Amino acid sequence: MRWGYFILLLSFFSCAETNSPNLHDSEVKVRIPSAFPELVYPADNSPTKLRVELGRRLFYDNRLSQDESLNCGSCHVLSAAFTDGRATSQGLHGSVGKRNAPTLANVAWLKRLMMEGGVPTLETQILVPLHDSTEMAPSMMPIVDRLNEDEYLRALSLVAYGRDSIDPFVVTRALACFQRTFISGDSRYDRSLQGRNDQMNERELRGRDLFFSPRTQCSECHSGVFFTDMNFYNIGLFDEYADRGKARATDRDEDVGRFKTPTLRNIQLTAPYMHDGHMKSLEEVVRFYNAGGTAHRNKDGRIRPLGLTDEEQADLIAFLTTLTDWNFVQNEELLPLGK
Amino acid sequence: MNRFFSLLAFVALVSGLQSCKEYKPELTTSTITIKFDALRDGSRFQMGRIFTDAYGNRVRADLFRNYISMVSLVSDDGSELLLKDFLLVDYSIDNEFTVEVPDGRYSALKLGVGIPAEFNTDQDPANYPNSSPLSVAGSQGMFWQWSTGYIFAKFEGKADTLGVGSAQPTLNIAIHAGNDASFRAYESPGFTLDLRKSTRTIAVHLDVDKLFAPLEGNEVNLTNNAVTHSQNNSQLARDYMDNLVAALWVEL
Repeated sequence: MRWGYFILLLSFFSCAETNSPNLHDSEVKVRIPSAFPELVYPADNSPTKLRVELGRRLFYDNRLSQDESLNCGSCHVLSAAFTDGRATSQGLHGSVGKRNAPTLANVAWLKRLMMEGGVPTLETQILVPLHDSTEMAPSMMPIVDRLNEDEYLRALSLVAYGRDSIDPFVVTRALACFQRTFISGDSRYDRSLQGRNDQMNERELRGRDLFFSPRTQCSECHSGVFFTDMNFYNIGLFDEYADRGKARATDRDEDVGRFKTPTLRNIQLTAPYMHDGHMKSLEEVVRFYNAGGTAHRNKDGRIRPLGLTDEEQADLIAFLTTLTDWNFVQNEELLPLGK
Repeated sequence: MNRFFSLLAFVALVSGLQSCKEYKPELTTSTITIKFDALRDGSRFQMGRIFTDAYGNRVRADLFRNYISMVSLVSDDGSELLLKDFLLVDYSIDNEFTVEVPDGRYSALKLGVGIPAEFNTDQDPANYPNSSPLSVAGSQGMFWQWSTGYIFAKFEGKADTLGVGSAQPTLNIAIHAGNDASFRAYESPGFTLDLRKSTRTIAVHLDVDKLFAPLEGNEVNLTNNAVTHSQNNSQLARDYMDNLVAALWVEL
């Protein structure tokens, strides 16, 4: 009789084994460049092997778009430092978005998300493209239902987050967890600071000095290790702004045309430029700053004619190209699994 | 002798205390159902059917929802009894909930139209279970995905002043009101509810005729001004929320 119970128990366990893969999770130690500040994770989303794997699978999964034609990687391409080379991104059924896809490099450290800073965390930012008909889907709930048909994803969800089905919590947490591994701090500029190989040449050094000089004041907003102060400015792009920038969130006139300072890391790879992608090259961007922008009422006082010669503009651009982290954009751990 | 009287007094005291301890007022409860609906001309408002508003505009509603929060009864001693934290009212369907409440006399029904700031600013809908009206599933698109917070009220449809008969209005209406400044509190005037093991229904009506009508300088005239996402055309969003709360009335 006792043997009977034992065999019955054994058969239950063997059923469980065949229905779910044998998954074991473990903490992941994310390597952070020594010059970068400490990375503080949300209490409910510290990185683990399976959380990162689930996020990586979801990031490149076409089931995340309504018509299964797009994934996060469609507009955030690793070789372009997680941008897409378009002025504004292309969404469902060929629809065109209103803004240029931002880089996701070092997104883990951003204080506010979106160009007007309306979104407080990386987790909540993930709701944006999943509830926008010009991006991936008008609503994420049908997508969640579709993902739940995948037994392996459900198993990952259970072990990684303790939830036996995929839900908005799991999707947002896993994608955020993967994106927090997008760490870029190994450019030639970084290595030159550390006294390692790949020293900068004369032109690049002249450009660096200009960048950090009171004459250009570039580094006042593009500051710190991320080359952004994460603040919001009107740089005098237009006389009238079709996209109101920060005013979209605040409805204050003084915020019209103010957009978050973008990072300059990997800027060489993230053309076209500006919030609407209307500037095609770094040369065009530097020419714009040298001219001093329009006379918009909200324009920051530091945007004024700089009087840079053609040679100096070329120096500045040469310095900006030293901010490219080639190891980052070739990191196979950030590509789809199996590629 | 003194000792005898002392003992007697002690026994009397103990038995008195015990009888106090044993006395328990009977705690009884009543069942109340709170319903939310929209009315026009005293009848239930019909979605998708054209009506004429106070400005003479022909209006058709295709989507008509708002959040109600912190529904509470205020008892005679001023204490508040929370009946429901959040409810997404969709006027195309029945909206009601039923709760047990302690018997007593209640002098007000209070609620919020929208979501209070502490549950609105920088919140994450993915933190709530699907059953919550504040969750991604339960909010049914009533949150600003690109910014923080919930959309407190939506009215979508068509309007015009030109069509006649069965011609459909053509002007788009998209009133999406919701930010901390547009949260509105409501307290029912002249409310008295005496509950003694009762089963009662409280109806919270929204008078659609007052929603699109002048109110103390407010203009919600749909053929002049019919689109707001709160951050653009915030005046219309605020006026709509003012009108919405002024259009509420409670029927016992």
